[in-house]
Amino acid sequence: MGLREYVIRRSIYMFLLIIAVICFNFLLFRLPSLVLGVSPVDLMISDRLRQRMSRELLLQLYARFGLVPNPDIFDWIYMFWRYLVSMLTGNFGYSFATQTPVIGEIMERLPNTLLLMGTSSVVAIIIGIWTGVKVAVDPGSRRDVGSVTVALFIFALPVFWFGLMLLMIFGFMLPNATQALFGVPIGFPLGGTIEYGLWVQAQQSPFGAIMIAGDILYHLILPMIALGVGGYGGYFIYMRNNLIDVMTEDYILTARAKGLDENQVLYKHGMKNAMLPMVTIIALTFGGLIGGAPLTETVFNWHGLGRYILQSLVALDYPVSQAAFMILSITTILANFVADMLYGVLDPRIRYA
Amino acid sequence: MSRKTSWKDSNWYVSIRGFVREYRKHRVGVFGVILLLFFIGMAVFAPNLATNDPGRSERVASPFEAPGWAQVFDPNAITTGEYMPDPLFASAPTEVIAGNSTEFGMVHHAAVNEEDPSYVNLTWTHTANTPLDFVVPPIPLSQLPDCRDFVYINETLDWPKDRLPNGVNFTVNYGVTLSGDFLNETNGGLMFKVYAWLIDTSNEWTMIYSSSPPYTPIIQPRRSLLSSFEINYAWAGMIRENGTQEDPADRLTVAIGLAPTKQFRYFSGEYPWTEYNGSVTVQVMSVSMICYGGYYGVMGTTNQGADAWSQLVFGARMSLTIGILATALSTVIGVVVGLVAGYSGGKVDEVLMRFVDFLLVIPFLPLMLVLAVFLGRSAANIIFVIAILGWTTVARLIRSQVMAEKNKAYVESARAIGASDTYVMFKHILPNVTPILFATITLGVVGAILSEAGLAFLGLTDATYPSWGIMLSDAQQNGAFGVGAWWVVLFPGLAITGLSLSFTFIGHTLDQVLNPRLRER
Repeated sequence: MGLREYVIRRSIYMFLLIIAVICFNFLLFRLPSLVLGVSPVDLMISDRLRQRMSRELLLQLYARFGLVPNPDIFDWIYMFWRYLVSMLTGNFGYSFATQTPVIGEIMERLPNTLLLMGTSSVVAIIIGIWTGVKVAVDPGSRRDVGSVTVALFIFALPVFWFGLMLLMIFGFMLPNATQALFGVPIGFPLGGTIEYGLWVQAQQSPFGAIMIAGDILYHLILPMIALGVGGYGGYFIYMRNNLIDVMTEDYILTARAKGLDENQVLYKHGMKNAMLPMVTIIALTFGGLIGGAPLTETVFNWHGLGRYILQSLVALDYPVSQAAFMILSITTILANFVADMLYGVLDPRIRYA
Repeated sequence: MSRKTSWKDSNWYVSIRGFVREYRKHRVGVFGVILLLFFIGMAVFAPNLATNDPGRSERVASPFEAPGWAQVFDPNAITTGEYMPDPLFASAPTEVIAGNSTEFGMVHHAAVNEEDPSYVNLTWTHTANTPLDFVVPPIPLSQLPDCRDFVYINETLDWPKDRLPNGVNFTVNYGVTLSGDFLNETNGGLMFKVYAWLIDTSNEWTMIYSSSPPYTPIIQPRRSLLSSFEINYAWAGMIRENGTQEDPADRLTVAIGLAPTKQFRYFSGEYPWTEYNGSVTVQVMSVSMICYGGYYGVMGTTNQGADAWSQLVFGARMSLTIGILATALSTVIGVVVGLVAGYSGGKVDEVLMRFVDFLLVIPFLPLMLVLAVFLGRSAANIIFVIAILGWTTVARLIRSQVMAEKNKAYVESARAIGASDTYVMFKHILPNVTPILFATITLGVVGAILSEAGLAFLGLTDATYPSWGIMLSDAQQNGAFGVGAWWVVLFPGLAITGLSLSFTFIGHTLDQVLNPRLRER
């Protein structure tokens, strides 16, 4: 099987998965309507308002959200068609709660989420790989056992609680302590993405952009640490185990027999090969970035997508959840595809498997 | 090549002892087991360990009180709790009969057994025309009764701290038995009152409770939350300011008394004291005085003033149950799917594995949230949600193992003697792939525990039963930071971490011991 056939096969597979996800998504968010017979419009307007509304207005409202009152099977097909068209054209409809286009709401939060997730992932990956390599040189050493124990501890750590503790220590206790000692509160903000007052101020200031960037960074640090630590353990363990496996291979022995110095063996021969599965993991990580971290974003009051999805779910704001879900699933599928491709290119063996 | 035979060459289940010996070499694993046993003990003995009802709204003290042991940093700390030295009258209290009348008396009854607890009877037997020393004219709003002849019992408590309590909850539990004219007359209940006073060492009396009719022999608690004025009157004299304090000693006397009222002297044109014959018996079962301070119990109180320790202890049950049951369910699904897929191969395998792939691309946490929101908040649903999303790892693992096993000679011979597919799958292949499963299962429990905590933190689980995630959610949503209540944030999180850490350590060690790939390294 050549590279070409491999790409075609993976593409077809990806396409089928996307179709499955689209259908699943449609059914999932209409489950309450299908099973319980609740119309989402009922959730949106009160009974009194409904009685006062003219029939035309009501039908208009239904049409606006791509719904049909008291649907039969053909209406369901029609609704599926409407859904399909809206999903494929990138018009995700209107939020029940705010009556604004969903895509606008999502795009507003996307940069925040990507910033938070991106920085924390990059930090976690870099430190994870770096320490993983350092430790894998000498498996079973005191340093190795210690770091593995720390990684296991991180694995067991609920990240949202870690975030809460960070907030409490650096967002509350530290400013209080410095206030008492020096009269100036020094610490980190208690959540949020940007200070509103500063935002307004920055509109007039010539250095507005720098001020905003600085303030966002200031708000970013604590959630980034929380998520970075939460992600670090996994990358570390994965890198370490891969490298330890690789270092038992015959070609490492060959390299050593050739008389290469240990650093060259480790980085040129060992790490290069151990990085292969790591590439997949990294690609998948970046695919999952867009989903944000609902729990951590909730803890830090971060104006991001994860928290938005959660809020929309609790408020039964289906258009939002549906669109977010769709985007998330498709990015994951694409990331999987990219990971497969990368792997196929980097490691030719996989194509012939 | 001669190799020393070890237990590793045999099946894992043949040599439990060998396995234990190997496991014990891993310090981390042993620590994990000890930690797990600790949490299991906590869950099993939760009713014995808990000091209060674990309900979220079971108020036992003020909101956000610090743990009791934290008061080592605060010399004037007041721990919330019972301040009566002998609330149930295990020993006889001091009896005082004020005035010279012989009509009053007190009887102490010591407890015989559980059904017959100790109590104190205050009695007043009046014979018509026996004179009593009334205060004439009666002083309105007096702290003392209208008659100088009365009976009371008292108990003394120490108050060495130089600080007022934040609040005082006073409860007296009594029933009143009447006889003679006190019973018959419609106004009989107006002729006496049951009082409670606080008496400081300067002999200033503060009336904190006085009864009103109707009276019944049934023992009922009378609660009164002391006002800040009452607290100030009674306690302020004991607070040292600039090196001096008003009262000579840091002692406070709680008195429960029975006294005739002014109505007994003269009531709507009549003089009841000249006509009444009969008796009043007040059976006091208990007197409790709970003073609220800044400190309570082992782990302080939550935002609703409930005992955090009790919630924490009962939360262990929730986390363990959900963690173990969800993993059990997902393991069963995963094993069955993996076995069938791996053993059958072909179309069945293809379909099942594509379904697994599909589940893996659906964003995990959002899907869990969706299902939790749609299905509802009961514990069973949470188990279901966690299990339905968690079986894929097990299925993949089992499938790959089964594919390797199924071509081995023992499977072939089993089939040759006519064993059915199900028999071969479950009796021959499954035991051989089990060891590698243990680590995955144990680590699955960690995922389930963390998922449950996360869902609870987001408010998507049943909040009527205590859980660590709900405790954290309560703390976060009610501004625990704002009042510096670190204990409601620290301890539930530590508990979650500790429990999942125990499973992580055990899983890691099992992987080291049982995974053949790691063994050979």
